[in-house]
Amino acid sequence: MKMKQNISNQTNGTDNLPPVLENLRYEVTGFRVPNGYFDSLNSRIVDEIKKQENKSLLKSIVHSFRKPLVWAPVATIFVISLLLIFVAPLKKNTTNQVADEWTEINMVYDPSYAAEALLAERNSIDKELEDNDINYSEPVSLTGQNQPTDAEIEQYLKEHEIDADILNEY
Amino acid sequence: MPEYTDNELVELFRDADKKHYAFNLLVQKHQEKVYYFVRRMVIDHDDTDDVVQNIFIKVWNNLGSFREDSKLFTWLYRIAVNESLSFLKSKQLRSYLSLSTPEAMMVKSLHDETNFDGPEIQRRLSEAIIRLPKKQQLVFNMRYYDDLSYDEMSEILGTSVGALKASYHFAVKKIEEFVTAN
Repeated sequence: MKMKQNISNQTNGTDNLPPVLENLRYEVTGFRVPNGYFDSLNSRIVDEIKKQENKSLLKSIVHSFRKPLVWAPVATIFVISLLLIFVAPLKKNTTNQVADEWTEINMVYDPSYAAEALLAERNSIDKELEDNDINYSEPVSLTGQNQPTDAEIEQYLKEHEIDADILNEY
Repeated sequence: MPEYTDNELVELFRDADKKHYAFNLLVQKHQEKVYYFVRRMVIDHDDTDDVVQNIFIKVWNNLGSFREDSKLFTWLYRIAVNESLSFLKSKQLRSYLSLSTPEAMMVKSLHDETNFDGPEIQRRLSEAIIRLPKKQQLVFNMRYYDDLSYDEMSEILGTSVGALKASYHFAVKKIEEFVTAN
């Protein structure tokens, strides 16, 4: 009966506490808290949130890569890119470099190879001259028809104030 | 620090530019209440610190979707109750590997001067609360220390007002017996 009465009192908003509990109700509880704990709690919580957000971002990336449909094409593209960037230029350079080195070595140690190389070089010059469409039909010999006359030579020497004795030197 | 109501803080939090500011204010406003509520349940400071951090991280993650059909304050308490009970449950599971029960470890912690330095009568009161069933502990702490109304407690714990009153009554009886007997 008394119990029912107490519960009923609580229904009305009165707790009907025994005196010992009534006295202790608003006293300090006695739990020790480190100095400055509540000043730093806020920043520690924010740090923890940032940590968890970074972790969850990393986790979601790792998780997405667990699906072969996602990572397989990405990995293929990555490997192909690596091959294109690093291996292909390396191969080309290596071939040229090795060829150049061999040419040099052969030039030094094999005279016949040197002769062939010089011939090839001359041929290439001839080819270049042909390509430039130069007319060599006119004779270029000093003893040919285009030889200047003595009068022309004298006039030239006069115009350029060159001593005529220079002709005797040759 | 400007004084904002809980509703104003929720509004501020929803503004992306003021989210951090609002959260800081919210933590500052409620941290002590939440801390002592958890501390009375788990006793040890370090354990309390972990639980309190988890509570506010949950608040950060879920406040954006908080529906204002309940008060922020009761919502916060509900998170605190769930986190405290989860912690105690995990402690109970871990205690199977050790020789002592979680209650025994908490009582031991109460006798550690680095953890508790109040008068002896307060120590006995805390010990009496530890020995209560979890539901009675929650009800007693909310009513006795935090002055929550039965309606608020009913909203937080999802229990009828009548059942809460009965729980509180039995809790008070057991505590009185323990404190006066020792």
